[in-house]
Amino acid sequence: MPALRWQPLVSLLLCIYGLGASIYLTYTHFQPKALECVSNATFNCEKVTQSPQSEIFGVPVAMLGLVFFVPMLLLCLPSAWRAADRRIHLARLILSVTGVGMIIYLIIAELFIIKAICLWCSSVHLTTFILFVIIATASPIVLGPGYGTEDAEGDLPSQTPLADGLAT
Amino acid sequence: MAEQNTPPGKGGNTPKPKGNTPSAKDKSRAASRPVAAKAPGKGAKGGNTPRPGARKSGASASAGNSRRGVLLAWGAVGVVVIILAALFIVKATSSNSTNTSYIATTAASSQVVTDVTTVPLSTWNAVGVTSQVQVAKPTILSDQPAMTIDGKSPAMLYYGAEYCPYCAAERWAMATALARFGTWSNLQTTASSLSDVDAGTHTLSFHGATLDSPYITFRGIEQYTNIPVASTPGEYTTLQNPTKEEGAILAKYSSSKYLPNGSTSGGISFPFVDINNAMLFSGASYDPQILAGLSWSAIAGGLSDPTNPVTQAILTTGNYMSAGICQATKGQPGSVCKSSGVQAAAKALGITIG
Repeated sequence: MPALRWQPLVSLLLCIYGLGASIYLTYTHFQPKALECVSNATFNCEKVTQSPQSEIFGVPVAMLGLVFFVPMLLLCLPSAWRAADRRIHLARLILSVTGVGMIIYLIIAELFIIKAICLWCSSVHLTTFILFVIIATASPIVLGPGYGTEDAEGDLPSQTPLADGLAT
Repeated sequence: MAEQNTPPGKGGNTPKPKGNTPSAKDKSRAASRPVAAKAPGKGAKGGNTPRPGARKSGASASAGNSRRGVLLAWGAVGVVVIILAALFIVKATSSNSTNTSYIATTAASSQVVTDVTTVPLSTWNAVGVTSQVQVAKPTILSDQPAMTIDGKSPAMLYYGAEYCPYCAAERWAMATALARFGTWSNLQTTASSLSDVDAGTHTLSFHGATLDSPYITFRGIEQYTNIPVASTPGEYTTLQNPTKEEGAILAKYSSSKYLPNGSTSGGISFPFVDINNAMLFSGASYDPQILAGLSWSAIAGGLSDPTNPVTQAILTTGNYMSAGICQATKGQPGSVCKSSGVQAAAKALGITIG
């Protein structure tokens, strides 16, 4: 089975960036004057962050970013990546799929409804997409049989048949 | 300690010794590993070695599952990439048919609307008509019939265009002043032309906006958008034409007979504001340059600060407009018209309120 090498570290760094950007965007949602961004025909952060689409059921989208990145950061800690509990890896995968679904909606809103692109938001979208790619492609490994057990340890080839045969 | 003293090797399930000395079972395991690596069917007879047939089918199934998982994962990534690419391609394709060199007009955020419509009275009064930025006074007319729009009087008429940077400056003052006399609905945010002077000045748009007021009828006309006509540089798409009634008012009061800088050929300069045919604003009251680089939120959010030069320019103009409206409404409402800021403006303009 292939090994996990760079994925835990890169995903953790992406989560840290995404969380920081989400905190900033949440703050500027409530303090629009603090928003520093390019403003021209294509890019206009304020237009996006103050648009009706910047809230879903009254909850700022930027705050939903926080709700996404806080648990994602925990799920991308090296210890979580090494975990033998499949539920942790499933939760990470489900969260990343939810995240990428959300960014598809937000990109549609920016391109076709608001007609402006927020660079800060786009950086978070890109972060979420890369996270999705990493998590989705790592899932066959971490959700594979024997991953995270004593013998496998996450980055060792599975020796399950032999180990089973030797069990007492 | 008691376990260490237990005599070894009496049965299959006795506890393993905890020392570093390998047990007989460990030795057996070590010895059996090379056996497990033997090719299937070549005499693997050790007790702990999986049967060749079982091992082959397990490994094969595992490899198959793994391959399926990898394919599924990359397939999911591929689907997302295709969706995102399709969105950008559709956007790029649709953008080719419409000019995108403008900032689109959209509904103003609730925060901007709140900031514009709730400027504290103390700020209005603190500013009065004192501004670090030069603010032009309007033209005062006398003995003109009150303006009537759709049978309602008194009335106020604004004529401008979304591309026009001077209108961009004037709208901030108009929106704040009129909010003292009524309630705004559907205020929009937009920006002036990106290819004109003071490019992309952030402002409000009155297109589609309405003022619900018991004191005055307001009509805002944005003749053109800020969307350039691709085939004719310097021209913008038409948004809204004045009605016959509005056109007659505009033609009459924008002429040089009433305005010192009025047109002699029938053309009207943007912006043009007529408050009940008694006060005329032609062109920007202050330089739009002071709004350069400021976002809607920055401009609107600063409106509660009387020391902010932009706020001073906007509210001084707004106090002049408020004085004109108060003159039209004969001093109603008193809370606005008797305020020191409006009184200062009336005094500076030499008009009497109510």
